Amino acid sequence: MQNAKDTFYVALRSRLATLNPARTMMLRAVTRPGILVVEAEAPMAQPPLDAFTLNWTGFEADLQLPAILARLTCEIQYSTAGTQANAGLDRGRALEEMDYEMLKLLYPYSAQKMNYTQSPAAAMQTLVFWSEPSFGHAVVLRDRLSRTVQVTVFAFQEQGEA
Amino acid sequence: MSIAAVPPMPALPPTGRSVRAYFAPVDRVHALPTLFDPSVNGRFTASAPPAPWIGLGWIEDFARRSTSRFGQLVTGSPGTTQFQVRETVDATVSFRFKAWSKLSMALAADSQHMNLIVPAAGSVANGSGGKGVTPVNLAMGSTATFLALAASDAAGFSAGSLVTVDVDYAGQTGFVGSGVSAASVPSATAVNYDPDYIRRVSFNVARVTSVATTGATGLQLAQPLIAGVPGANMRVQPISGFVDREGGSFFQEWSALFLIDGEQGERILFHYPRLQSMAGPSESATALVPPLERIALSAAFRALPVTDTNDGEPVVCFRSFLPSPATLV
Repeated sequence: MQNAKDTFYVALRSRLATLNPARTMMLRAVTRPGILVVEAEAPMAQPPLDAFTLNWTGFEADLQLPAILARLTCEIQYSTAGTQANAGLDRGRALEEMDYEMLKLLYPYSAQKMNYTQSPAAAMQTLVFWSEPSFGHAVVLRDRLSRTVQVTVFAFQEQGEA
Repeated sequence: MSIAAVPPMPALPPTGRSVRAYFAPVDRVHALPTLFDPSVNGRFTASAPPAPWIGLGWIEDFARRSTSRFGQLVTGSPGTTQFQVRETVDATVSFRFKAWSKLSMALAADSQHMNLIVPAAGSVANGSGGKGVTPVNLAMGSTATFLALAASDAAGFSAGSLVTVDVDYAGQTGFVGSGVSAASVPSATAVNYDPDYIRRVSFNVARVTSVATTGATGLQLAQPLIAGVPGANMRVQPISGFVDREGGSFFQEWSALFLIDGEQGERILFHYPRLQSMAGPSESATALVPPLERIALSAAFRALPVTDTNDGEPVVCFRSFLPSPATLV
């Protein structure tokens, strides 16, 4: 399943870098596209503002198919406090911008499954595909406006894949 | 000194998870189904059925229905039933194939199942595919998984492509197709004397894994051809997929075996020596996360009779039960 998770993250990260190159974050002293996977970073008290945070939660598997069909739930959370220049009064607009980016990042709803544990990364046989996003309510916490989007990611387990 | 035998458990209700399906060709020319003998092969490994059975994996919504009719001989006043008679023997079976393949699609369809031969340049458009590209000849040295071709012919194929391998149609009538009777040709005019017709309906298809244009030149196949080692008179054409139709006069006929493995080691087998499709092509969808759906092939069959040589009875289905080793019988 790790290849499916890696593929989904890298697909979204590549799309974000093209869609909005200005959405970056500084993490571990490196500036990179504003998207991260919680389980692949050091524990943090709060996810960074104005970035997409992927959290893998649910897992199911359909075993009665010629190849196991894994079903992984990914919760993508993003928060914004607006911009300093506007004293945060534009946080609603900033959240709307991230909503729109989320829609664009997820489409098309599939990507060639890749094995990123080797260099260069190798294309595998199948495609990883995912559901259309389910947007949660906007949540207000002091100056932060947040939203969580749920996406179900599907991948067929290939022969010899861990 | 002796060790006391542990008394077996009483007979227990079978508990199974799902049903596996296996199919084997019927020799239509000689009207010979593939018979499964549970006393010989009943404990076969579910993932490796004995030849020539082909495993088609888990199926869903498996439903057997006996539609045999019974009559009564009533005598006396008031009338009382004295005897019963079996007026008809009939049975149907239906289920859904989870996976689509040449074979599952053909089984679920009720008529000829065709290969979409890559069309020749300028061929006239047709619903089941137009005139195909020129086939290439096989060279010496082919096997069920390797098609020996001249280097120049092999170069016309690519790894990952699909091929159909069969003889030219040469005016014959009746059942055609290598390995499996894929269609019945009433006359040469009905198929327009098309030399590609048999390759168009053939089950002798495979995916190419690699192409060799030096050394032993030819096509390495990902799966063995259903007809085995190809004959020297067979030819090869590229195909892009498959097509079936609502309509047509041919009925696919296959031998079938369905398996339920119980959790205590018991095994239930349903063997239909002759199944013919009794419904046109249809599909059904199972929601994954709306609007994402898994599309299954719906299949419904009527069972046709064979004669049980043990007692000469005409029957349409055999149900076998191999008990758990832990239970009384």
